[in-house]
Amino acid sequence: MNPEPTPDAPGPLPGDHAPPLWPHTLLAPGLAGAAVLSALAAPPLVGVGLALFAGAICIGSALTLARRVRRGERELHELDVRLLHSQKLAAIGELSSGIAHEINNPLAIITQEIDLARELFGQDACPAPEDLADIKDCLDQVGKQVARCCQITHKLLNFARKMEPVLQEEALEQVIEDMAVLVEREAAGRGVAIRRDYDQSLPPVRTDVPLLRQVILNLLTNAMHATPEGGTITLATCRQNGRAVIEVRDTGCGIPPENLPKVFDPFFTTKEPGKGTGLGLSLSHGIVARLGGNLTAQSAVGKGSVFTVSLPL
Amino acid sequence: MADPIRVLIVDDEERFRETLAKLLGRHGFVVREAGSGPAALELLGQAPCDVIVLDVKMPGMTGADALPLLRAACPEAEVLVLTGHASVDIASTMIAGGAADYLLKPCPTEELEGAIRAVYDRRQATRPR
Amino acid sequence: MGLRVLAVDDEADFIETLVKRFTYRQIPVTAAGNGPDALALLERESFDVVILDMRMPGMDGLAVLQEIKKRHPLVEVIILTGHASVESGMQGMSLGAYDYVLKPVDFGELLEKAKKAYERKKLNESRADA
Ligand SMILES: Nc1ncnc2c1ncn2[C@@H]1O[C@H](COP(=O)(O)OP(=O)(O)OP(=O)(O)O)[C@@H](O)[C@H]1O
Ligand SMILES: [Mg+2]
Repeated sequence: MNPEPTPDAPGPLPGDHAPPLWPHTLLAPGLAGAAVLSALAAPPLVGVGLALFAGAICIGSALTLARRVRRGERELHELDVRLLHSQKLAAIGELSSGIAHEINNPLAIITQEIDLARELFGQDACPAPEDLADIKDCLDQVGKQVARCCQITHKLLNFARKMEPVLQEEALEQVIEDMAVLVEREAAGRGVAIRRDYDQSLPPVRTDVPLLRQVILNLLTNAMHATPEGGTITLATCRQNGRAVIEVRDTGCGIPPENLPKVFDPFFTTKEPGKGTGLGLSLSHGIVARLGGNLTAQSAVGKGSVFTVSLPL
Repeated sequence: MADPIRVLIVDDEERFRETLAKLLGRHGFVVREAGSGPAALELLGQAPCDVIVLDVKMPGMTGADALPLLRAACPEAEVLVLTGHASVDIASTMIAGGAADYLLKPCPTEELEGAIRAVYDRRQATRPR
Repeated sequence: MGLRVLAVDDEADFIETLVKRFTYRQIPVTAAGNGPDALALLERESFDVVILDMRMPGMDGLAVLQEIKKRHPLVEVIILTGHASVESGMQGMSLGAYDYVLKPVDFGELLEKAKKAYERKKLNESRADA
């Protein structure tokens, strides 16, 4: 690792210009040895003097060493902080260009609707009666686009919220069912059936229940959107390698292999503009990681997808 | 009066297209719209146009993918890139790929119209009919 | 001190029954007929769990939830809803709701969830003290 000092770096990085350690490390034991030997041979006064001298050197070198160790640690820490900082900047850069795009699009619509409404109002602020419906439509659209922006910022705030998990014991099945009832009606309306395949012997998990509910709701919603009429969503739990596993399977459109690595990226969506923010899976991925688990996806185009959450038991 | 400027809007955002078409139509442009690159190519196959207003981030074929195809399908058209993507890299790639100008959404209609006219006038000056 | 509940719903009959059922179980419960009243009550007294109807005239449940979470982040909110909607479910959960309960309410289930929500609040508080 060869870090380049950044412009805002506080002072130089640890370099080779620090004096070598050997004078202390050799001198101190050497002198101590000499002091012991001479104390045996020489008159006591000289021995005591030498011993005192050696002791002083030992203390001095110990202090120097301690100082260097401390400085080394500090520099290492600063390096860490800088590295983290640059990684954070990169992540922020990526995220903010995504946010800019997602917010700029609705803003562009709002801008145009306002321009059109102004024009329809006319110079004398007395719109023609036949234009009134169009003006109202413009205003409605502005409202819709504002709501779209809010949805994005709300979801983003979720990332920002300090979500220190609060662990509670709960049956996994119960957590899933709480969210399934929210989706069931809409799924039925779309002609999509929800099946259950729970492992009854699974012990309760210790997890942050509302956070896990969010994950399940996201996965269920995605599955429902991907599944055509006559399809099925299966909610399953099981125990695997000492972990509790939740699977949300669907018989939907599937995810093309080139998109599969991207589905967890913030703002990645294949839904129509305004329909999906592309934050659902990245948020869920973040939550599951914080709960000590992992979230993975498998999919075959035309066959369906499986999203798997595995949690510590 | 000169011939009206024929504009093709290529953007996946339906409402954006519709209102822009309405506004430009009111201001004397002849406007067609397409929701994707392939749809735009089909429209260009039916009739050419003068200025293509092109979005970058579209599902399937992106604006960057569509740019060379659109230019091949209608060499006389100028391409004006209009997108919410605030990235200098994308702007320079698109310009290098032959786009005439690059505007960032949101952009007041007046500004966009000015840009369409400017691009059109420049083409008329360099390529007189 | 045990669980203190604030129930918020514009349906007077429903809230009356709810209050009775909590009271039978010796759980202190206060009723509010709308969002602003509920927020005012939360300013004056302390509650652990708010049971909040989603659809109310004036300030709707989501707006009330957002306000509660802003001012009293540790108070847990259980949302009652008559029409299971994915969209509002998503919004409610991401605004920090503890859970959803569908109307008509199974009281046993609601009580169970209220207790769990209370347990969560206590866990959160003990951590804040530490
Ligand atoms: N079960 C699934 N089947 C097929 N494709 C899926 C599935 N789940 C996710 N995807 C793909 O992954 C993309 C990203 O999903 P994600 O949940 O992050 O965002 P979204 O659903 O598009 O928007 P939202 O922010 O509203 O959830 C989707 O647009 C879709 O293309
Ligand atoms: Mg989603």
